Amino acid sequence: MIAFDRVSLRLGSFSLKEISLSINRGDYYFIIGPSGAGKTVLLEAIAGLHRPDSGRILLRGQEITDLPPERRGIGLVYQDYSLFPNMTVIDNVSYGLRARGLHRHEARERVAGLLERFGVEHLAYRYPGTLSGGEQQRVALARAIAVKPDILLLDEPLSALDPVTQERFIADLRRLHQDEGLTIVHVSHSRREAHMLATRMAVIIDGRLVDEGEADVVLSAPGSREVAAFIGVENILDGVVMANDGGHATVDAGGLRFEALTDAAVGEEVCLCIRADDLIVAPGDDRLPNTPNKMSGTIIQIIENGPVTDVLVDAGMELTAVMTRRSVRDLGLSPGVRVNISVREDAIHVIRSALSARE
Amino acid sequence: MKIESDSVEGEVPPSRWRVRGRRQVDLCIVSFCILGAVLAGLTVLALANITITELGDPLHLIEVAASSGVLGSILLTFSAGANAVLLLIIFGTPLAYVLARAPPSRFKGVVESIVDLPLILPHTVAGLLVYLLFMRRGWLGAPLAEIGLAFEDAYPGTVVAMLFVASPFFVNTMREGFEKVPLHLENVARTLGAGTFTTFRTVTLPLSLRHLFNGAILAWGRAIGEFAAVVMIAYYPFIISTLIYYSFTTSGIRTSRSIAFVVIVVSLGVFYLLRRLTGYLGRYDDRV
Repeated sequence: MIAFDRVSLRLGSFSLKEISLSINRGDYYFIIGPSGAGKTVLLEAIAGLHRPDSGRILLRGQEITDLPPERRGIGLVYQDYSLFPNMTVIDNVSYGLRARGLHRHEARERVAGLLERFGVEHLAYRYPGTLSGGEQQRVALARAIAVKPDILLLDEPLSALDPVTQERFIADLRRLHQDEGLTIVHVSHSRREAHMLATRMAVIIDGRLVDEGEADVVLSAPGSREVAAFIGVENILDGVVMANDGGHATVDAGGLRFEALTDAAVGEEVCLCIRADDLIVAPGDDRLPNTPNKMSGTIIQIIENGPVTDVLVDAGMELTAVMTRRSVRDLGLSPGVRVNISVREDAIHVIRSALSARE
Repeated sequence: MKIESDSVEGEVPPSRWRVRGRRQVDLCIVSFCILGAVLAGLTVLALANITITELGDPLHLIEVAASSGVLGSILLTFSAGANAVLLLIIFGTPLAYVLARAPPSRFKGVVESIVDLPLILPHTVAGLLVYLLFMRRGWLGAPLAEIGLAFEDAYPGTVVAMLFVASPFFVNTMREGFEKVPLHLENVARTLGAGTFTTFRTVTLPLSLRHLFNGAILAWGRAIGEFAAVVMIAYYPFIISTLIYYSFTTSGIRTSRSIAFVVIVVSLGVFYLLRRLTGYLGRYDDRV
């Protein structure tokens, strides 16, 4: 639907570097990256607010690189909502229709249903300055979709909301995406939001697109070490392939031996990514599954992490496992306790250092 | 200094200035107040001086205030100032917007310096610049004279001199106002289908109205107070500053002082009225 073809863009000292990505109709496309990575600039480039220095932007196969934002049919909701403070809620929501030439009364009539749908009809004649964050967010969303955009761009829409309002807003977004088939591009630095909403995603770091693909794939099998670190893979171990028997490789990582599935050749440097919830920790061997990857260590710290618990184990190197509080209590785990650890070989994602992402 | 306080640990006193119902003395703020009072006191003293003197001779004051020469001069000054401000709104607003939105560059720096130039020039120099440009043989004065628009010793000359000296006040205030309008608002308006001008007209300008008004007031105040620049190109017709100077040099202190007092009273009244009328301009929160 919309594609970036080697788009580069410089803004002061910041630059986007040769970004190529494609967003398909019906995608819930996530762009994630750390603060200052260029996510918002990328979003604004999609909207037509920045002209690339080089490269092309295509919408439905047509080049739109020079098309101004008012002719792109792409809606935008900023993190700060950006409601027009000099207009009432109803005038904010009907602004796009009026900009398209509709008379004020007609535009107001058309958006009345939209206000009702977003539960803000009782706020119609209030000014934005008097609304709560959640109300402003819903008004901003209603305003963006009032003009029936082809694509809706969201710039960190959840970051300023309290948890309860966040859940409600996530439900609104799901409904917009699933029930109405709206293509949504959502910028965030939150991996949790990506897990909950994304169908496809891109990872931007320092102005470069470092990974792109199906959300499940990017999140479970990151293409590079920096992506793995950013998406929160708890255990990232550098190692060297010692043996490889038809895809079943033995990797030495800091003295620990892991069996993993990879085509990496003997002697090749690799990076092992192990999710904390794939590590199984138990005081005795009998509770561990039958896997070649077994090791022992000592618990060095137990950290309460919301509904779960992070268990840090020194097994020659520090490994992090995640367990329920009940499991920790039932197994009698505490700092200083000797434990055995195991991980299935197909739960280890191997990143081949010599290859770039997704090669 | 010992501070008396009965507040318990961790409890913040109700006010930094008041503890147990007594004022707490902050030497720093008191020193600042004394220094500031010297400055404000000068103005108060000057106003008190002229007020007491003038109210001591009310008949003369009324005679001067009611004279057609003084009233006509005040009207002329205020209307020329208003004309200058109108021209500033028309030409200065677009310039201020461009300066507010343009990225930093050497060219932008040059334009900003040009805008600020009347601030640093001696007023006689500003007047001379205006005169040289708009005199009958000037680059602009000559062609405009051919279509019947004369500037020397004429109302347009007064307006253009006022415009020149007041322009930085309006443009800089307006630019500040535009800079305070978040770019995100304009971006959103564009994505909703509004072109650049529609966005400016419906979003940016309404949100800068307070600055537009403040800039206009500042520029108008500066314009009606101008003397040196105006007198270089348009000694006649008399604006109020010229009239006071003329009266001072020909009739003495008594009459010029009465004219000045009338101007002070009228100016204060007009400024107060304008501030009151536009006090709620640009406020968009219906709770206040």
